[in-house]
Amino acid sequence: MTPPRKLPKKQDRDYELVQAINSGQRNLFHSLVKRYEAKLYNFGFRMCGDSRDAEDLVQETFLNVFRYLNNFRYETKFKNWLYRIASSVCIKKRRKSKYAPEKELSLEDFIPSDENAAPREIPDWASVPLDRLLDEELSGTIRDAIVDLPEKYRLVVVLRDLEGFGTEETAQILNISPSNVKVRLHRARLFLRDALKSYFNHDD
Amino acid sequence: MTTDCQHSEHCRELFAKLSEYLDRELDVKTRQEIERHVETCIKCNACLETLKRTIEICRHVKNEPIPELLSERLKKMLEEAVGSV
Repeated sequence: MTPPRKLPKKQDRDYELVQAINSGQRNLFHSLVKRYEAKLYNFGFRMCGDSRDAEDLVQETFLNVFRYLNNFRYETKFKNWLYRIASSVCIKKRRKSKYAPEKELSLEDFIPSDENAAPREIPDWASVPLDRLLDEELSGTIRDAIVDLPEKYRLVVVLRDLEGFGTEETAQILNISPSNVKVRLHRARLFLRDALKSYFNHDD
Repeated sequence: MTTDCQHSEHCRELFAKLSEYLDRELDVKTRQEIERHVETCIKCNACLETLKRTIEICRHVKNEPIPELLSERLKKMLEEAVGSV
């Protein structure tokens, strides 16, 4: 993988704060925590599906940031580096708790084999205005489906579609190639689409 | 796993690229190829629209409020960390 280009530091909204902390004002670290605790908690909650695990993830991530911030050299934005640490914490947690190899999702799993199963038109859930669909139950359904995804696909879809990172940024955070991000993202979305299809069909 | 895009090899080929199409990551030629195809292929169009809606739903997942005690926990952890430096 080619090393990421060095970003101009002024493009990083955290630059000044990080500089101040690294210049010795360690007490400012709490401002960094305040800035990202809610975001990281939600990232953890989406990855783990559990409040307690999400809290542990936030705590462990900030502890690592505190330890290694002096080594941060702006090869990427601070936020991307923070999420790289949080993603590593997630991966390590999984390795500790499960030994089974992770399930692979194949594109073939989502390509239709039964002609009769093919829709003849766009289903209502994909054509009505979005705000008519969004409610607590749907949020719960999509959150559960995300947690059901194998971790390597879950990390990509959470970073891309829920946290709003771009393909390149996600590749940097996870240390994989952009094409790998695209492949995993497509399969993850197809998996979630199937979960939504089941939910809405059941609803009919 | 349910399926719904069973059709020609051409459909399968385009099916693999639908996310990149929605993310505007394809070259112009491939993008136009998909646009022409979904105008006439109902099944691929349904695949595209359901995938698009899936992404929209993901993007609208609401944030959870952070637990009250988390900030306290973090504060305490930091005090200990600073003290140990």
